[in-house]
Amino acid sequence: MTNKFKAKISRRDLIKTTALTAAGATLAPFMGPWKYNRVWAADKPILIGLTHDASGQFANSGQAEKRGTIMAIDEANANGGVLGRKIEYIWADTETTPATGSRVAERLITRDEVAFMVGAIQSGVANAISQVCQKYGCVYFNTNSSSPTESGKNCHRVKFVWDGSGANFARAAASGAVTKFGKNWILLTNDYVWGHNTSKATQEILESLGGSVADNILVPVGTRDYSSILLKLQQAKPDVVATAVGGDDYKALRQQVQELQLDTKMAWLSNQLDWPDIYGAGAEAAFGVFAATWYHYLDLPGVDDFVKRYQERWPDTRMNVPGNVTYNGYVAMRELLRAIEEAGTTNNIKVIKTLEGRVMKADDRMQHHDAWIDENSHHVQQTIYLATRQDQPRDDSDYFKILQTMDPKEVANPGESACNLESYDDTPTYEM
Amino acid sequence: MDFLYNLLPHLVNGIALGLLFALIALGFMLIIGVMEVINLAHGSLFALGAYIALVIITPEGGLAMPFLENWFGIAIVPRYVAALILAPFVVAFVGMGLEFCLRRTYGKDPLYGLLLTFGAALVIEEAIRVIWGHGEYVLPIPKEIRGGFIHADLIWSTYRVYAAIFSIAMIGLLWLFIEKTPYGAIIKAGAHDSEMVRALGINLPKLRTLVFGFGTALAAIAGIIMAPIWGIRPQVGVDAVVPAFVVIVLGGIGSFWGAVIAGLMVGMVVGLTAAFFSDWSLLSMYLLLLAVVTFRARGLLGKASALEN
Amino acid sequence: MQHAERWITREMLVAFLIFGTLPLWVDSVGLYSYIGVEVVIWMIFALGFNLLLGYTGLPSFGHGAFFGIGGYAFGWFQFNMMPNLWLALLFAIVMTSIIGALVALFVSHRRGIYFALLTIAFGQIFFFIASKWTSLTGGEDGMLNIKRLPADFGFVSFSLQDNTALYFFVFIVFALVVIVLWRLTHSPFGKVIRAIKQNEMRVGFLGYNVYFYKWMVFTISCAVSGLAGGLFAMAQEGAYVQVMSLQWSGIVVLMTLIGGGFVSFWGAVVGTVVFFLARDLLGTYTEAWLLWYGLMFMVLVMFKPEGIAGMWQDAVKALRRRQIVASSPSAHPVGK
Repeated sequence: MTNKFKAKISRRDLIKTTALTAAGATLAPFMGPWKYNRVWAADKPILIGLTHDASGQFANSGQAEKRGTIMAIDEANANGGVLGRKIEYIWADTETTPATGSRVAERLITRDEVAFMVGAIQSGVANAISQVCQKYGCVYFNTNSSSPTESGKNCHRVKFVWDGSGANFARAAASGAVTKFGKNWILLTNDYVWGHNTSKATQEILESLGGSVADNILVPVGTRDYSSILLKLQQAKPDVVATAVGGDDYKALRQQVQELQLDTKMAWLSNQLDWPDIYGAGAEAAFGVFAATWYHYLDLPGVDDFVKRYQERWPDTRMNVPGNVTYNGYVAMRELLRAIEEAGTTNNIKVIKTLEGRVMKADDRMQHHDAWIDENSHHVQQTIYLATRQDQPRDDSDYFKILQTMDPKEVANPGESACNLESYDDTPTYEM
Repeated sequence: MDFLYNLLPHLVNGIALGLLFALIALGFMLIIGVMEVINLAHGSLFALGAYIALVIITPEGGLAMPFLENWFGIAIVPRYVAALILAPFVVAFVGMGLEFCLRRTYGKDPLYGLLLTFGAALVIEEAIRVIWGHGEYVLPIPKEIRGGFIHADLIWSTYRVYAAIFSIAMIGLLWLFIEKTPYGAIIKAGAHDSEMVRALGINLPKLRTLVFGFGTALAAIAGIIMAPIWGIRPQVGVDAVVPAFVVIVLGGIGSFWGAVIAGLMVGMVVGLTAAFFSDWSLLSMYLLLLAVVTFRARGLLGKASALEN
Repeated sequence: MQHAERWITREMLVAFLIFGTLPLWVDSVGLYSYIGVEVVIWMIFALGFNLLLGYTGLPSFGHGAFFGIGGYAFGWFQFNMMPNLWLALLFAIVMTSIIGALVALFVSHRRGIYFALLTIAFGQIFFFIASKWTSLTGGEDGMLNIKRLPADFGFVSFSLQDNTALYFFVFIVFALVVIVLWRLTHSPFGKVIRAIKQNEMRVGFLGYNVYFYKWMVFTISCAVSGLAGGLFAMAQEGAYVQVMSLQWSGIVVLMTLIGGGFVSFWGAVVGTVVFFLARDLLGTYTEAWLLWYGLMFMVLVMFKPEGIAGMWQDAVKALRRRQIVASSPSAHPVGK
């Protein structure tokens, strides 16, 4: 595979170079974004493909993680690059659409010849990209899709999953809530894979602690009006409503719960509150108890400095503090670059082996506990924070109050045993 | 009895929801009924209305200029009322610009009008992304219409009641305007007998521009009313245009009361399925549409229209 | 007019020459084989779609549903029945034809906007069913690990794992679809559906069963879409629900129209190429590429709704006119 690949590339580079020379400057505008037609080979930069959504439902989150990955790349370049090589990136919009994810991944690998790929918000897009990457052997980081299936049945040898999974968050949120709020729960589940998996995890925890699910209300994807469901909840009067509702559906739900002041009438438990999904809605919107992997007011060394670096790098961004999505993008990219440096090569198998089982120090990751990459599921096991609405905000950006810090072991998802990674031999060698 | 007691709040809620659907569909109905143009940009203009209102009500909308400090310093009620009046005007101008583009499609297959507005929908939504970004905004509203009140053991949203009353008022006003004023008579005549209108010395192109502007202003009003319920984000227009579509086809093109009745039906069906078979709530409106249209090709109260060709 | 009667026309030869040699030159213009695969598959889809829009004048805004169903059918068959390329593709075609035929029963009595609205409603229904039926479709995770099955001819079998090999396969399918659809649109059947576009009532008065013809053309169009969907699932090695959404159904309308599907068989083909190039080129420069594409689309609808093919025809006509003036007055009329 390697040889075949290399042979192809050199031929193609040759053709490109010739074509470019022949075409000359007049054709330049038509040559479009092919600014990566490299002719040097000696200290060829390491090119990383960024697959962040800029349109579709998760455009906002996609752009937030892009800010994180680019920061990590810039910082690495400021420190002299990796393996003495400069890091370059090429970004393509994955449109929150898996079919686009496939095409973009094919393009980044076969045309742009990226060495690695980073970025995902939605699990379908992550799956589409990781299938293509596995086919070629290109290492891929799923930065922000939290579907438990990502590190379960849809795991891959080349894919590493950086966000906590829905199952982790459900475990974190559910365990404390039973004693605190009561045992009679209603689940509000987005009617798709992520919603069902997350609610299933919640239910398991709840039942193991002696609670019971009175009802599981399924919410179709795309629901904008919750008045009937909220009426039903009022009639049922549960102790806790555990929601596994995501994206724009969650934003509409949040708005309507607040409007009815139901946020004070029953305990609301939500899975994860992504910073781009709440930023701009005000601290008021952060009601209930929810999970997060990071927050910009964590009382840890390095956090303030990271926030400052973010603000210097992105002074014009409306989101003027980094959140969990940007954080995930940043730490994932930073770790990738370090792993390449340590492996001493961009060879995929060597980089994968460097990453598997890797322990990342708490201080370094700006979290309370050490994190590690599970070698069997490729899922980063990390600290999960439980948070609620901030009642004494320090400033306009202070929405969350951290209630509890959960050790990665406490929230580990046993469902990850469903993951069955391809063997090294079945993973093609890939090196750019 | 217990079941009925549980059902009653849902019936009330269904009516309130139905009024909102009718409000969303009003501008769409006016344009389709009078001008026989399917305005697929209705949703994007709906969203634009909400964004413009945001600019008028809060400095977060992007108009944080020094000389406006005084404006943003005054109480929220006048700012909200100003937004409710001014934003539709701004959007109406955009709508009139769109109508100007549409002129080239008049007299051709109505499909071209639909396609042009489809393109406009893309352009307006993308323009919103460029100007305001991808993120979420919250429209501040006066505290008088916020919060809830307790009735019959249940909390009802004050804003929903306000929105429902507002919808009834808008429906009533529009009806009065069309049926009881000379302007309405001219508009109706223009739809059905453009020769006559011209013979009476009325400038038909100008009339069409004004009607289109009026229809898009109604879209903007619906956008402002729905903003505190749905939130403001660029793709919110798609959430509006699809139900508007369903309501109009169900009610029958060209029928004012058909649209109102259809809105109420859709609200009731969506509300009740959400309460009892929640996972089918979104599908229910399409199934209702299919069921009705299979038996009544022109919807509930539809008349023959050039759009069938 | 005489070349319309032929099986292979000059335009076809040009198209086959361009697309048949694509893998040889695609890298040197800075593109890549895989985009060729997608472009050709979408051309098949757009050609099938244009049977409705361009030829019969029926604007379907829910055609993405059939494209998606084809993909799921292709995947389901190879997982649960038999991993055979031919049978899986056939199954995709048959399933979409059956579902399309059922939908056609509802929509073939409609025309114009009511037709468009009903197809939207059906498209949405299929979209919701596909996202809800997760045990079959995988919901938003997608139906994964669909195999690129080998093209087995009994005596010889070609692996389609490689993008270039797959490209040649979809190209051959494309060529066959082009020939079949060209024949179809230039058969008596094709004349009737074109007449329906002009004036449905008159065709009815002439004794043709208009509903049957509309039902038939809808079903055929769905079958072609299903074939394209099956190929797409194979190319992507997965089937995803988003292609069934309203937005994607709208995209095929955009493509067909910009190319000039109203006036030319080749409009759908040209439009697909333009769309993919615009997305790949503009998409790397700007996040708001749809803004520019939408503007281009608006301008086109306003000033040249016949699309790129229409402009081409005008240019050819102007050229001929000049030639006629210059040479003899007995030149052949332009026929298309």
